[in-house]
Amino acid sequence: MISFSHYLRIWLASARYSLVRATMFRGDLFIWASVELLWISVNVIMVAVIYSHTPTVAGWSLYEMLILVGTSMLIQRFLMGFFWSGIFEMGRNVRNGMFDFVLAQPGDPLFMASTRKLELDGLLNSVVAAALIIYSARKLGLHPGFADLALYAFMIGCGVVIHYSALVMAMSLSFWITSSQGVEGSYFTVMEFSRLPREALKGAAGLIFVWIIPAVVVSNAPARQILHGFDPSWTLGLCAATAAWFALAVLMFRSGLRRYTSASS
Amino acid sequence: MTKYGQAFVVGLQSNLVYRWNFGVRSLFWFCHLVVVYLLWGAAYAGNPSIGGYSFAQTLTYFVVIFVLQFFIGAFNEDYQISEDIRNGLINQFLLKPINYFAYRLSVFAAARVVSGAFGLLALLVALPFFRGYLDMPHDAWRIALGIPAMALTAIIQFSIAYCFGLLAFWFLDIQGFVILSMAVETLLGGQVVPLDLLPQGVFNVVRFLPFFYQAYFPAAILTGRKGLDFAVQGLAIQAFWAFFLVCLAEGVWRRGLRHHTAAGG
Repeated sequence: MISFSHYLRIWLASARYSLVRATMFRGDLFIWASVELLWISVNVIMVAVIYSHTPTVAGWSLYEMLILVGTSMLIQRFLMGFFWSGIFEMGRNVRNGMFDFVLAQPGDPLFMASTRKLELDGLLNSVVAAALIIYSARKLGLHPGFADLALYAFMIGCGVVIHYSALVMAMSLSFWITSSQGVEGSYFTVMEFSRLPREALKGAAGLIFVWIIPAVVVSNAPARQILHGFDPSWTLGLCAATAAWFALAVLMFRSGLRRYTSASS
Repeated sequence: MTKYGQAFVVGLQSNLVYRWNFGVRSLFWFCHLVVVYLLWGAAYAGNPSIGGYSFAQTLTYFVVIFVLQFFIGAFNEDYQISEDIRNGLINQFLLKPINYFAYRLSVFAAARVVSGAFGLLALLVALPFFRGYLDMPHDAWRIALGIPAMALTAIIQFSIAYCFGLLAFWFLDIQGFVILSMAVETLLGGQVVPLDLLPQGVFNVVRFLPFFYQAYFPAAILTGRKGLDFAVQGLAIQAFWAFFLVCLAEGVWRRGLRHHTAAGG
């Protein structure tokens, strides 16, 4: 049984390697950090333009909406920073047999595949997303206590796990189909719904993106925690969704791994 | 058949191979349209008009923007061009009496015929859901001016993608530049919000930029967001940008060739 400290040491070594790599290619780091910043700005401008013509959207004011959008971005930046590169490369590595390299490493294949690289640009921009949330909370006159912030951080962690699971499931398709190019698009499409307030989703869309795929819950639950305080139904719903999606992702990855036949797969 | 006609036919065949990619993209498009419908539907709740436009007009605008993207948008031409340069495939064009810009434009036209067909198919699927919310004007002049506007938009989109692809003469990886420009184009091209909802001062500046003519302008003509005078003036500015960008593309190509070392060809 490999211990937690063993995994922590592996992760720290990967993180150190990623940091060295990022500082070697500073131009790249600058470009990609600008890309992320610009996409955050695009979303904020969209919200600002809509609210310049209407005071509320689905009962949410401008700064409430910015907290929601900021929360959604924060989760996505963490995913980009900690896991994106590793999971994204998984599809390509499965196709060309390079996944052997991951299997030969001393640890769980899913952990080894998804934590190989840290992307500094995504992590840098999580500061921008956090600043947006803090600015909006100040504008609303919110003063969350330590327990509120701790619960918010926990819910953000749950959100990252759900995003991680969705992406692992999407990329695990490479074990079954020869070309998973563009599959990551399905992740981005589904997660677009996470920038919508729960109240905006009605009918079939509400059923699918709130209850079946927790895209809306991922961002709405922590945002509501900051805005309105602890709500057991949202918190428990998020925890249940996190456990279910992570279990599904691990199951799908392992079942795909059994089909992997090295370079000839 | 001319050599560029042949390139068009070969482009059609190779793009039909990727019909599933276009099919999947159509599905993503439909999901994105659902997000637009939910978000703007919530913004319009209690507001009969935003910026002087009804919900039906705004939704029609977004539907037209999406269909236009399938017919005249540059998807991955920049990537294909950069791959030609990086892999040395461009060398074969240097030894033959073929204009690379015209060759790539022919392949781009073929790809848009295929993706446009899938866009129309997606529209037919989406129409029963959105028909009650669409509001297309029927003025003949809108079609008469909209068609040349769309043709010029295609040239602008292609030329920008072509220039970005040629950056591979100087840089190993151009993906950062491409996604950076995509964020700017998405916002200033009117794909996130209709540009006429921006503050008037900002709109007056943006209308002189090439991005304005990448999507917003033809959509604004076709969906009745702008009148005849604006359309005529806009066509003149758009023609200038199309001419300028084609010249720029030629200039970048010539400068790039001076850097090219034909390794690996």
